[in-house]
Amino acid sequence: MRDVLANSSLSFEEIDYIVATGYGRINVPFADQQVTEIKCHMRGVHSLFPNVRTIIDIGGQDSKGIKVKDGRLVDFIMNDKCAAGTGRFFEVIADVLGVKLEEIGQRSLLSEHPANISNLCTVFAEQEALMRLSEGTSVEDILAGIHKANACRIYTMVARIKIEKDVAITGGGAMNIGLVKALERKIGFPVVVAPEPLITGALGAALIAGETAAALGPRKLEGMKEKRRLEAVTFFDQESKPEHGKWH
Amino acid sequence: MEYVVGLDIGSSFSKAVILGDGSLLAYGVSPTSGNFSTAADLVLGKAIQKAKLSMADLTLIGACGLGVPFISRPFTKIAELSCHSRGAHYFMPTVRTLIEVGNQSTRVMKTTSKGKVTDYVVSDKCAVGSGRILQIIAKVLKVDIEQLGQLSEKSTGPAKFTTNCAVFLETEAISRIAEGTPKEDIIAGLHRTLASKIGAIIHRLKIEADCMMTGGAALDGGLVAMMEKEIGQSIRVPEQPLITGAIGAALIASEKAAS
Repeated sequence: MRDVLANSSLSFEEIDYIVATGYGRINVPFADQQVTEIKCHMRGVHSLFPNVRTIIDIGGQDSKGIKVKDGRLVDFIMNDKCAAGTGRFFEVIADVLGVKLEEIGQRSLLSEHPANISNLCTVFAEQEALMRLSEGTSVEDILAGIHKANACRIYTMVARIKIEKDVAITGGGAMNIGLVKALERKIGFPVVVAPEPLITGALGAALIAGETAAALGPRKLEGMKEKRRLEAVTFFDQESKPEHGKWH
Repeated sequence: MEYVVGLDIGSSFSKAVILGDGSLLAYGVSPTSGNFSTAADLVLGKAIQKAKLSMADLTLIGACGLGVPFISRPFTKIAELSCHSRGAHYFMPTVRTLIEVGNQSTRVMKTTSKGKVTDYVVSDKCAVGSGRILQIIAKVLKVDIEQLGQLSEKSTGPAKFTTNCAVFLETEAISRIAEGTPKEDIIAGLHRTLASKIGAIIHRLKIEADCMMTGGAALDGGLVAMMEKEIGQSIRVPEQPLITGAIGAALIASEKAAS
């Protein structure tokens, strides 16, 4: 919040309405409304790509498939039970292979013979990756195998709600070019990726906030702003230095 | 006397036994540490030394486990499940259900009065169904894996875990530590989660008494106690639960050679 205010040279008092989304949405004391990340993602993607019917959101701890029609939610599926197919899997593998997380996608594309990774459990796949490494398989080939296995897992999940054109990929996973390419291969046609895939949820939240603010009208908004100011003052005082991870 | 060796080269531990005319003379257990070939040699050397024999005294080697293809000496390969059930039978002929919880899998077998397998379930897709998670949590809590059982029994209120994924469990355990939950409660909570997951695997078979538990996880008394509650049966653990597979390998190899 502080960052975005500084970047836009706005003050907190100038903000009309705030919508919070994501896992931590209930922990934002100065938000006027909480909206689920599914709705916000859908809204954000819809504003960027109105033709998208299927959204694949690959987050740090879960992955979701969202089906959209005319900007409305039609169907939804999610995996938050198992680290496979989520950003967490890639973090673990990048760590064990000693490759930076930002680089794994790019390096996987250099592979000519993707390794066969038979385990989908993150813990076992980590061991398998180490074993391949000790057998002399190149890091690129292991990474390609890992991406292929995860794309397969995500595809199988999202296919349960029937994948329809256009397909958008969002979340941190969308920043991994290796995963995007592997998913495209699995799906059979190209997908769209937002220029800033991490903020589609926040973008959607802002769009919803704008609509709500317009519907409420200026007089009601003033009253709400007054209430919010009190909460914000205590909040900003307590957190005079924002710690990493507080703003998700 | 005929000396027969049984080797069980697992992903985490390598086990060797030497039988003299069908009875256990000596055994060795050592970590596999990523190199199957060296681990097999090392653990066999250990057992030979304990039995006060030399390599030339040995007549036959029977072997099972993940690392079998890497053993450098001539051996007879024996199917893994047969080895485990036969080894369990050696310790306790009344065993009808064998629960083997290893580093990479959990296997449940129904066995006959002769130690043969009649039905089985294997779970090797997920680390929460295996003993692997015990190692992960022991590392996170900075306790020796051997202490997990004792600590778990001291718990007054097992911590609740909301996930069934080993990776997320690790994260949750770290959050619990940060919140100040005693490690006894974290371990007991973990044992409960693991017991219910393994219980679900066991219940796919119609189990009969007597039940025995083997594999590295059987060394963890806390887990065994939770498992007993979970399946409503008392569970026997042999004195050395790691070596049942190796004993079975030796017994079956020598029978094969005799016929």
